[in-house]
Amino acid sequence: MLIKTGIDRLDELLKGGIPFRSNVLIYANPFIGKDILMKRIASAGLENNEGIIFVLTDRSFGEMREEMMTVVPNFKEYENKGLIRYIDVYSPTVELKEESKWVTYVESPVNRERIAYSIMQAHKEMEQEKHRLIFDSISTLIVYSDAKAVFRFLQVLSGTCKRMNTTSFFSMTRGMHEEIEVQTIKHLMDGVIELREHEARYQLRVQGCGEALSRHWIDYLLEENEIRLTGAFRMGRVA
Amino acid sequence: MITTGIKKFDELLGGGIPNGKSILFQIEPGMEESDVAFPIMKENVGKVNTIYVSSVSSPKNVYRKMEEFDMKPDEKNFAIIDGYSPLIGAPSEEKYVVEEPHDIGSYEDTIFRALEDLGENTLLVFDSLSNIMDLCNERIALEGIERINNEINKIGAYAISNFIAWPYKEAILYRIKRIFNAIIDVRNERSLSLMEIKKADWEAKTAKFYFKIFKPEGLRIYIPKIIVAGPFRSGKTTFIKSISKKFFPVERLGATTGVEYGVVDYNGYRADVFGIPGREGFAPLLDKFAGSSMGAIIVVDSSSEESIASAKNFIEKFKDIPNVVVANKQDALNAKSVEEIKRMLYPYENVIGASAIRGEGTKEAFEFLAEKIVEELNAH
Repeated sequence: MLIKTGIDRLDELLKGGIPFRSNVLIYANPFIGKDILMKRIASAGLENNEGIIFVLTDRSFGEMREEMMTVVPNFKEYENKGLIRYIDVYSPTVELKEESKWVTYVESPVNRERIAYSIMQAHKEMEQEKHRLIFDSISTLIVYSDAKAVFRFLQVLSGTCKRMNTTSFFSMTRGMHEEIEVQTIKHLMDGVIELREHEARYQLRVQGCGEALSRHWIDYLLEENEIRLTGAFRMGRVA
Repeated sequence: MITTGIKKFDELLGGGIPNGKSILFQIEPGMEESDVAFPIMKENVGKVNTIYVSSVSSPKNVYRKMEEFDMKPDEKNFAIIDGYSPLIGAPSEEKYVVEEPHDIGSYEDTIFRALEDLGENTLLVFDSLSNIMDLCNERIALEGIERINNEINKIGAYAISNFIAWPYKEAILYRIKRIFNAIIDVRNERSLSLMEIKKADWEAKTAKFYFKIFKPEGLRIYIPKIIVAGPFRSGKTTFIKSISKKFFPVERLGATTGVEYGVVDYNGYRADVFGIPGREGFAPLLDKFAGSSMGAIIVVDSSSEESIASAKNFIEKFKDIPNVVVANKQDALNAKSVEEIKRMLYPYENVIGASAIRGEGTKEAFEFLAEKIVEELNAH
């Protein structure tokens, strides 16, 4: 079974989407579309009546909600229907705490154990059959600890997510980590979607993630809340 | 020796935690009940001083948790070793700060300084060992922990370490097991939290029990479902009332018309107790509950031969789970004695006399069953 990423041509590239219950690393430089991709993935999940769990280390759940509303205008309706849960690991560190019944605060990105617990609790509370986990970002976790510790955390978490019918997306910032750390984390993933800026062009590449029409770097354009794949990847089409 | 505050737990530990011992709580990641050290700290306030080594929580958060357990820290008998603030680059107001949270030596120096100030009669709590290992290099961190445990052993203090059991390498796990005097596993089983004494190098038993942590009370051995059944008018409702700290009745004109519910909190046990009415119509419900309960209490009216005789049917129904017969209404003039009832129910032995209306013998009957339930869990 495949689930849609919410970006049509990316789904096409993936021959229909990402395998259900897999875990995917979204590895990208800052500000070149990672956030848009994550928002699109969340939005496609909502359209498919999947529960969405956000784990946020770099922004508050309020900010995430605002962001989502730019893509999904009726986002609050989904929230009120109980399709959204936030695990906010950011707000307590800046002593900002807004009340909402959809949010769980974890005091610090150091406390991986409580993050794992909160994700499991969120799963238990939600009624949807399928879920998506949007974890933004594991870079912050690594910065506060080390890649090996985060690796062990993800090992436990990815097992749990699979058991709970969840497709998980983890973001990691390119340029923040040593190559060995990146490789360590990639090892755990079923797939990687990489975004880069190369010779003044934005490019995307898919590794793993089930089947794909192309494994090469593909150009894309960044528009407001849109990632538009412009590069060719169809067999028989001239690049 | 310090105690856990739970009679049965202390009994399994051979009285409690002896001087000089270091205990490792090996906790499954993502457990609901992971604050296992707090109840033990709470139980021993005033008996020992406490040093709390925090690497995952801010001191503020530690104080907040203590408050949830009704503990009032006082600097004469409590100190935080703050390994958290320097880690996230926040200022610390604590007296003992780990300047280099990536260096186990810095932890050691700070801990030894606090131990000198607070004295030998101290409980040292690590929260968490796994996090310190992640920060300070696993092997080097363990060497430091071993030195700390040796010091604890030498001066006769106590140490408790929370260790989140992430998938570490076997060699590391093996090493950890060797440097602690006791290992207690904390994990989920059948959707409940379970504690298991895996190893102890003193006269303790290896055993397991389900548990829950309540705030502010602390740790309790938990029994999610005990059924109370028996013939009509045997005094089940009065019995449940007399053992429960909270009771939710379903009564009409003195007869019970639905499933009653009580919460029992007694001698370190916490149980949810369900009473099934004695009328005929409730038989299907009885079967349903019999299948899912951990134990059964059969209440009979000692002044009625018919009531006593009917206990046999209930004993048969509950033969697969621990059970006890409560010979109720012992206060009645024509009540049969426990010995007589035992004779009538021969070869059945678990009969305990009680007068629910006077509140006599009821809690003892509950504890008798609770003990049997823990024994049963350890028999397999």
